[in-house]
Amino acid sequence: MSSDTLLSVTGLKVHFPIKRGVVFDKTIGHVYAVDGVDLEIRRGETYGLVGESGCGKSTLGRAILRLEEITDGSVVFDGEDLAPLRGEALRRRRQDLQMVFQDPLSSLDPRQSVQSLLVEGMKAHGLTADKEATRARLRELMAAVGLPEAALSKYPHEFSGGQRQRIGIARALSVNPSLIVADEPVSALDVSVQAQVINLLESLQESLGLTFLVIAHDLAVVRHISDRVGVMYLGGLVEEADADSLYATPLHPYTRALMSAVPIPDPVVEDTREQILLTGDLPSPAAPPSGCRFHTRCPWKQAERCDTERPELRVVEIDGVPASHRVACHYAEQIASGKLQPHQVEPELVVPLEAEVPVDLGP
Amino acid sequence: MSEPLLSVRDLKVTFTRQGAEPFHAVDGVSFDVRPGQTVGLVGESGCGKSVTSLAIMGLLPRRGNSVSGQVMFEGTDLLGLSDKQMRERRGRDLGMIFQDPLSSLNPVVSIGVQVAEVVQRHRQVSKSVAMEEARAMLDKVGIPDPRRRLREYPHQLSGGMRQRALIAMALACRPRLLIADEPTTALDVTIQAQILALLKDLVSESDTALVMITHDLGVVAGMCDDVNVLYGGRLVERNMRHDLFAAPAHPYTNGLLGSIPRLDSARGEPLDPIPGSVSDNLPWAESCAFAPRCPSAAPDCLASSPELVPHGGGGTDGEGALRCFHPVVPAEVAR
Ligand SMILES: Nc1ncnc2c1ncn2[C@@H]1O[C@H](COP(=O)(O)OP(=O)(O)OP(=O)(O)O)[C@@H](O)[C@H]1O
Ligand SMILES: Nc1ncnc2c1ncn2[C@@H]1O[C@H](COP(=O)(O)OP(=O)(O)OP(=O)(O)O)[C@@H](O)[C@H]1O
Ligand code: SF4
Ligand code: SF4
Ligand SMILES: [Mg+2]
Ligand SMILES: [Mg+2]
Repeated sequence: MSSDTLLSVTGLKVHFPIKRGVVFDKTIGHVYAVDGVDLEIRRGETYGLVGESGCGKSTLGRAILRLEEITDGSVVFDGEDLAPLRGEALRRRRQDLQMVFQDPLSSLDPRQSVQSLLVEGMKAHGLTADKEATRARLRELMAAVGLPEAALSKYPHEFSGGQRQRIGIARALSVNPSLIVADEPVSALDVSVQAQVINLLESLQESLGLTFLVIAHDLAVVRHISDRVGVMYLGGLVEEADADSLYATPLHPYTRALMSAVPIPDPVVEDTREQILLTGDLPSPAAPPSGCRFHTRCPWKQAERCDTERPELRVVEIDGVPASHRVACHYAEQIASGKLQPHQVEPELVVPLEAEVPVDLGP
Repeated sequence: MSEPLLSVRDLKVTFTRQGAEPFHAVDGVSFDVRPGQTVGLVGESGCGKSVTSLAIMGLLPRRGNSVSGQVMFEGTDLLGLSDKQMRERRGRDLGMIFQDPLSSLNPVVSIGVQVAEVVQRHRQVSKSVAMEEARAMLDKVGIPDPRRRLREYPHQLSGGMRQRALIAMALACRPRLLIADEPTTALDVTIQAQILALLKDLVSESDTALVMITHDLGVVAGMCDDVNVLYGGRLVERNMRHDLFAAPAHPYTNGLLGSIPRLDSARGEPLDPIPGSVSDNLPWAESCAFAPRCPSAAPDCLASSPELVPHGGGGTDGEGALRCFHPVVPAEVAR
């Protein structure tokens, strides 16, 4: 691990037991939410994690903050493995890693003013000893996220969605973290407000030298704010690259399909671009397909290896593709050169996870 | 040019609550839809898209609101019909698809029975014929193994498959007009792409008129012939798809385009957002509601309310329209 690496995740697995029975005590299977992820985040960069609903993005983010029990693997932050940390040692470490949620205020006490919300977090890490300094810090935080000082005495319900997100960011910043994990920070916002918050995150990163892990399902948003992007599918990373390289030469069939599905607000582009339409749905993470997890939907799937051998994230030798661009596909080279062509895929039936748990359908 | 199938004229929906000021959720909206045409209604949260569609379909709550204007469907004003007449229309001529398929499907009735019921409500056919038609509909909307799916319940389907089932139900009565309110907003993009492709095929095959409601200008760019941009309950700009994106004339439309991170544009440039939020709006009655957020706002924008006037060549019917005193000039167009 080089010294400019802030976070290094190796072989990370988070499996949730599926319990069944009268008192829910029998484990009948697992949800393989995160199933073997390696990634490194450098100091001062924004790493974007993108993928569709249920692929394990939030679980990965929460596991890094040790908000989920880690089944296997390590999370090394600034040289220290977080996985074995417990109790007070973990609590102290958390000051360095903060999280921003989709709606950061929905889970907070509506009777608490913004000021007391912010002070609460700072107090927990002993940052409020000096009253005058605390007050100055609060003013500084408000200015940093673009809110008037008067906002400090208001309550969560008095703010619009974008303002609430600014408060969530201020709360994360208040304890001087070095890494911020932002889980869908703009997906609940209208586009005009979304753009304001994206600009805010970018300018904060520049002025404070923060490191970000941004989790989002919107590839256009992720590409815009990230230096590097990891694409997740069913609990694993399938491709990782600099944002520009990923866009210029997407190598994994799933990335290509995802990219071609993102609508672009330009009729000229929309009328002419080629779409790779995937058939079928995301398979259940409780019963992931064998071999390459994408093989049930992959238009390039081959008879050999795809359904038997899980591809590793690897560097490929393709003209114009840098070594920092890695992909988990057995046939990436042949697909990139056009030697292998896509074919029709018969959609497979997928039973949603909820349906496997019996529900009471009433009389 | 064919006659409009649906003509909405000066539609107003006002919510009245005791003790509160009347709230004009939809404030004089007019647009046309022709057979085989897709017309978009776009705008951000709360601009009145869903209320417009509910008013057209006669699905607003019975109390607490007043509706005025005209909703002409083949010469009949739908606003003048009784509840019973509207119910008949809804399963026969008018279909609707909502954002959340689970809330519009009955959880305790199998998919097959739900689709077959729609078929039977509108045509005198036997149960088995209706069921066979239901199977054909599921097949048509791309549900794999449709015969087996007929016996299953909504919770046993994924989100994308539920939305397909709902589309199958809406189409089972062969509507002439289909209103889709954010039909793909709750779905992943790869599934969204499948559903949008399906809707496009259906429109071109059957000459159905489609009203597409969405907040996503990307979806509009790929789907809609005519686009209506709403702000604060009023139409602020209408144009044909290509003209609207190439030369947005309303500062709000332009601001939306500047706010969207595009997958295909150069990185590293900050976005150009619209400042503030809809909570800053002024009342339309005496001003331009958008003025507090508008980069082109001038004193006249605060002193009087801009009218909707014909604009450009836009609109398939030559009825492009704009509500602004100081339209965007080419040099100001986003990107
Ligand atoms: N506490 C839990 N117990 C059991 N299963 C869980 C738990 N948390 C998440 N899961 C499951 O793990 C999988 C991954 O979930 P996760 O929330 O990480 O996905 P995501 O990529 O963040 O999706 P989204 O885009 O919908 O937020 C899903 O199938 C989810 O249902
Ligand atoms: N039953 C109701 N009673 C009172 N106000 C309502 C009612 N339904 C909607 N409104 C208000 O009318 C306005 C328009 O709502 P509408 O649902 O049409 O917005 P929308 O454009 O569909 O937004 P979104 O993108 O969030 O779905 C909103 O301000 C909303 O709060
Ligand atoms: S390994 Fe095979 S199935 Fe997987 S993405 Fe590559 S070609 Fe497709
Ligand atoms: S009327 Fe004035 S305030 Fe309203 S959009 Fe036009 S320029 Fe802006
Ligand atoms: Mg999530
Ligand atoms: Mg709506």
